[in-house]
Amino acid sequence: MEIPYEVTARRDTGLYNAKIGVWLFLASEVMLFGGLFSAYVFLRVGTQPGIDNPWPMGLNVQILMAGFVNTLVLILSSVFVVFAWVALKERKWNVFRNWMIGVLACSALFMVIKAYEYNSKLTQHHDIKLLDNSILGGKILEGTDKIRFDADSVVVDFSGSAPGFMNQVESDENIEFKIETGENAGKTVKLSELRSWYHKEHVRMMREVADMRMKQRKGEWVDGTDKNPETKATLSAKPFRINANPRKIAGRDEETLNFRDRTVIKGKLVDDTIKMEVHSLNLQMVPLQDQENVMAWKLIHAATGGDEIKENVLAVRDEKVTYVRSHFPDGVIPVSVLQGPFINFRKIHDVPGGEAHGGDHHGEEPKAAHPGDHGSEESAEHGHGSHGDIVIEVPREQTSFVTNHGPRAGTYYAIYFTMTGLHGLHVVGGALVLAYFLLFGKRIFLKNPEHLANRVEVGGLFWHFVDLVWIFLFPIMYLM
Amino acid sequence: MSAASSTHQGADASGHAHDEHDHHDPPFWKKYIFSTDHKVIGLQYGFTALVFMAFGFFLMMVMRWSIAYPDRAVPFLADLPWFQSWLDADGKVTGELYNMFGAMHGTIMIFLGIVPLAFGAFGNYVTPLQIGAPDMAFPRLNMASFWSYFIGGVLMFTSFFLPSGSAKVGWTNYSPLATTTDLQFSDIFWTGQTQWLLAMVFLISSSLLGAVNFITTIINLRAKGMTWMRMPFFVWAMLVTGFLLLLAFPPLEVAAIMQLMDRMAGTSFFVPTGLHVGGMPFDAAGGGSPLLYQHLFWFLGHPEVYVLILPAFAIVAEILPCNTRRPLWGYKTMVYAAMVLGFLSFIVWAHHMYLTGMGTSVSTFFQTTTVLISVPSVILITSLLISLWGGSIRFNSAMLFATAFIPMFGIGGLTGLPLAFNNIVLHLHDTYYVIGHFHYVVAPGTIFALFAGIYHWFPKQTGRMMSERLGQLHFWPSLIFMNGIFMPMFFQGMAGFHRRAFDGGTAYEKVANQLFVSGDSFFGQMFNFVFHRAGGQDVNMIDLNLIMSSSAWLLALAQIPFVINLFISVTRGKKVTSDNPWNATTLEWATPTPPPHGNFLTEPVAYRGPYEYSVPGAEEDFTPQFVPGEGDTVPVPGEDAPAKTETHA
Amino acid sequence: MATTPEELASHKKAYTAIGIALLVLTCVTVAFGFWHPFGPVMTWRDITLGLLIAIVKSSMVALIFMHLNHERGLIYKILLFTFCFFLGLMLLIFFAHADPIREAFDAIRNSLG
Ligand code: HEM
Ligand SMILES: [Cu+2]
Repeated sequence: MEIPYEVTARRDTGLYNAKIGVWLFLASEVMLFGGLFSAYVFLRVGTQPGIDNPWPMGLNVQILMAGFVNTLVLILSSVFVVFAWVALKERKWNVFRNWMIGVLACSALFMVIKAYEYNSKLTQHHDIKLLDNSILGGKILEGTDKIRFDADSVVVDFSGSAPGFMNQVESDENIEFKIETGENAGKTVKLSELRSWYHKEHVRMMREVADMRMKQRKGEWVDGTDKNPETKATLSAKPFRINANPRKIAGRDEETLNFRDRTVIKGKLVDDTIKMEVHSLNLQMVPLQDQENVMAWKLIHAATGGDEIKENVLAVRDEKVTYVRSHFPDGVIPVSVLQGPFINFRKIHDVPGGEAHGGDHHGEEPKAAHPGDHGSEESAEHGHGSHGDIVIEVPREQTSFVTNHGPRAGTYYAIYFTMTGLHGLHVVGGALVLAYFLLFGKRIFLKNPEHLANRVEVGGLFWHFVDLVWIFLFPIMYLM
Repeated sequence: MSAASSTHQGADASGHAHDEHDHHDPPFWKKYIFSTDHKVIGLQYGFTALVFMAFGFFLMMVMRWSIAYPDRAVPFLADLPWFQSWLDADGKVTGELYNMFGAMHGTIMIFLGIVPLAFGAFGNYVTPLQIGAPDMAFPRLNMASFWSYFIGGVLMFTSFFLPSGSAKVGWTNYSPLATTTDLQFSDIFWTGQTQWLLAMVFLISSSLLGAVNFITTIINLRAKGMTWMRMPFFVWAMLVTGFLLLLAFPPLEVAAIMQLMDRMAGTSFFVPTGLHVGGMPFDAAGGGSPLLYQHLFWFLGHPEVYVLILPAFAIVAEILPCNTRRPLWGYKTMVYAAMVLGFLSFIVWAHHMYLTGMGTSVSTFFQTTTVLISVPSVILITSLLISLWGGSIRFNSAMLFATAFIPMFGIGGLTGLPLAFNNIVLHLHDTYYVIGHFHYVVAPGTIFALFAGIYHWFPKQTGRMMSERLGQLHFWPSLIFMNGIFMPMFFQGMAGFHRRAFDGGTAYEKVANQLFVSGDSFFGQMFNFVFHRAGGQDVNMIDLNLIMSSSAWLLALAQIPFVINLFISVTRGKKVTSDNPWNATTLEWATPTPPPHGNFLTEPVAYRGPYEYSVPGAEEDFTPQFVPGEGDTVPVPGEDAPAKTETHA
Repeated sequence: MATTPEELASHKKAYTAIGIALLVLTCVTVAFGFWHPFGPVMTWRDITLGLLIAIVKSSMVALIFMHLNHERGLIYKILLFTFCFFLGLMLLIFFAHADPIREAFDAIRNSLG
């Protein structure tokens, strides 16, 4: 059985099947990315100054060069695809092959650059939001954002979920736990066996509870005589170190660590301060009059022993505020402007006197400080740990939100990672399809070159669409 | 010209396929499991969907128990191992279990039951046959969409057995509740809530692929002579449904992906600033908007309800003319109405969100479009109604269900109208009235149409008829008990019963004790007699729960004849005597029975419109599309579509 | 669709030209993003400009690379239809936030301080 119009076009519609199919698919892709773009606008416009986390300006937080090069790479690959198609139309397999290799090289380069960007965001840049909403930007020293805890006993709850602390134990050695309670008291389990042991015990507990309920319903249950099922077990071990991910912790004090999965760990809290190289301070969420007293100053004072930085920063701020006041006649100053400046810390630190509001391309004129201000391009993603960084110590109690510049850092990062991630998946998908034509297309080419040309055209349509999406993604994510 | 004599297939139709097929049969798994034949895929969809619907129905019966008898242990189930961990110590349904079942009932019924059965099964089986195509345009894609659907279904189902249980925040899965539920688990990926999202991504992908396939098939694979305006209404409805799926589902996919990110990566797309959970500040950056989720969801949600109802119209529009022996009344009007309906359904979504604090001008806009959309709906239903006029109706099982569809959908649609007004929704929103409204549309509406379709096309697939007696035994109780379940919902809803209350509203004392009818009335006496209550006792709103729940269980019993019928008739049913047992006119009846791979033995040609019944002067009371007659134009291949009618893509 | 060698040759020229134009426009976008021409602060004007350039670029891709400039009517219809709903999607923000009532309340609240 042959499906008609697989290669040749139908006369009344003028199209072959795959062409219609791919355009329909692209229509749904338009709606898919449309939904995401809509979410972008929604979240950005919906950001309430002073209440929600400020929406950073792409230029301030992105590696512009990476985005720029990626745009060029994608455009080039698009050009290559059409040339590959033309080569097929001219029935030149070798030319087609060369262009296609070019396309695949471009897509690989694109993904590599993307990976570099992601990595830089995930591991090199962090924000600490303090309780008074001032936000310190910089790089958290490795491991210091974990809760470090010396544990010697563990209480697992079989009605919760499997304990997750296991992969946060510091040492490699296979710790041996002694079971303290219940029927199995005295036996031991190794750390590596803990999970399967938990599941076994979980099943046992469920069965016992079920039995108990059945007996209770039939009235056969005698309190006191019949033993309640054990829903918890206490394990003890030689003291071992846990570096707990704070997101998994529901609560803690000096002696206990309560995991969200209901595991309770006893022992001694070792250290819970976060150490960070600060690069910038964001005061957009702090009202103007409170900016002199934010907690960040105390932390910086403790680290540097002086108030020089504070004075410089506030001087820059005053300059900006004066500028804004003079440029926005009476009273119509945008709230976002008044909320406070986003200040590149390193610049201030490097150049005493607060002269340099980094990256000011407009001569002496200080720029208005509002979320769209980008007085700090250079700060952005460059220069890891350069000279003169101050390292501050922040007790966890004083923070309200600690994050890297990964998806959870705020709605901007969330939409950035989601959109570019989905786009990246499309790039990979498209590249796989095109690679298939390159590797296995020869057979189709020999049999019916027009068929292969059609398929490359269809694959190319998808590829151009992916390029087209990036054409919009680039300015809204990197420039605005 | 006589149709029966001119069709090339003789009376030995059922043996036909096997003769044609002896060229090396593919192995079983290729033929029935990983098949690319649209008919096999249609059947796969159909069976899977029926199983899921039965399962969804079962969930609902447990819920109805909890509502009717909140203080009694669930019968039969309390001793099953899985239930023991979710029922409370007395074997009663817990709120958690109820929420799980409620959410999954909705999800399963809509996304795993009705859409796959209506679009996946009937659409797949019938559309290519009706347009005279050998298969779908992309057979392998078709297989991929079935398996994507299947994986989605399996993920949904297995999520019940996770430690967290399945998703439990309603089929709409609103954030931030959906974001924050079950986050205490160490492995958030393996929680019901996350699995729901993952499954949805699979289901949506399946629908998208399916939609691409359907639209391409309809556009490009129509047989010779099958011009746009010669397509049966069924095909039109599938085309519109395809577009609805194609364009409405992606925003939900976006929403699902964003919610997945919220759960797995800690983003805050839908998490507002300052969210507290259980008295503790929620550990996320904030700045997101729960409203965004609702918009994206309902952008899909409303077109989705038309995805549920259009195939039902489609099926009924095929069955009515065939059994009244009259043309479909207002075929063209119906086609245009369906297109307008499809278009409008995209701009009414916010009528589900009147109470989210939207402004008056915006809600006025949506109020207007919502009222507008009832116009094409009414046109469709009226056309069907008028189609009955003056016919000598053949009331077989299919026709019974199809006829019942009309008033049932009527009730559902008309009760939707008041909901279009935001001042009325102030009172009715999230009450049982809304539940009654949409269940009338989908349960006695769409599901009846689907039953009708099964009875109607069964002989084509198997070469045997389903038992009429069992069909009647299926229909009448179903009709009664459907109404028994859903009619009281309107009264309860108007009295103020809130939906999603797991104890059936005992918590709402004021509403519960509102009088429904006095105990002295006829209804009151009947009620007290049936439910063994002391005579003279008044019937309150809450007592209606007994009627509804009992009806639900009896409805389940009423499906037994159907199941028996379905399985017995495959081997024991009366053999059909021709390939066109109903004397119908559309192209699917021109194939051998059952249609072989590739469908048609000779290239089919459509010589005329799809509903030429009782043509004056004709020898028989039906003139099939595929039978050439005098004066019929035989269109040139590929140029069959006159430019004028080509504009409806 | 083009099949004659002359047509293909002219296609190739067009593709090269468009490719170069795209590269140049990308540089223009970056330049504008960097030295926003409408004053020291990035405003809606700069954003509009950036989006306009993006629209020009994407139409070039769609028209030339994706052959929309001589595509069949059917495809246009599908895309037009899609575009309507795409617009609907982009208006979500309007539906959620454009609210005269809330604005009125905000005005009152602000006037009260
Ligand atoms: C005839 C025109 C119709 C109108 C004017 C209409 C109107 C409405 C309105 C305004 C609501 C929201 C009520 C509320 O939440 O307060 C609603 C809910 C609903 N309608 Fe309709 N409707 C119509 C037809 C349909 C059809 C054909 C279906 C399905 C096949 C349907 C399925 C639903 C569902 C599932 C809900 C509830 C969603 C939920 O909140 O869970 N409706 N309808
Ligand atoms: Cu709706």
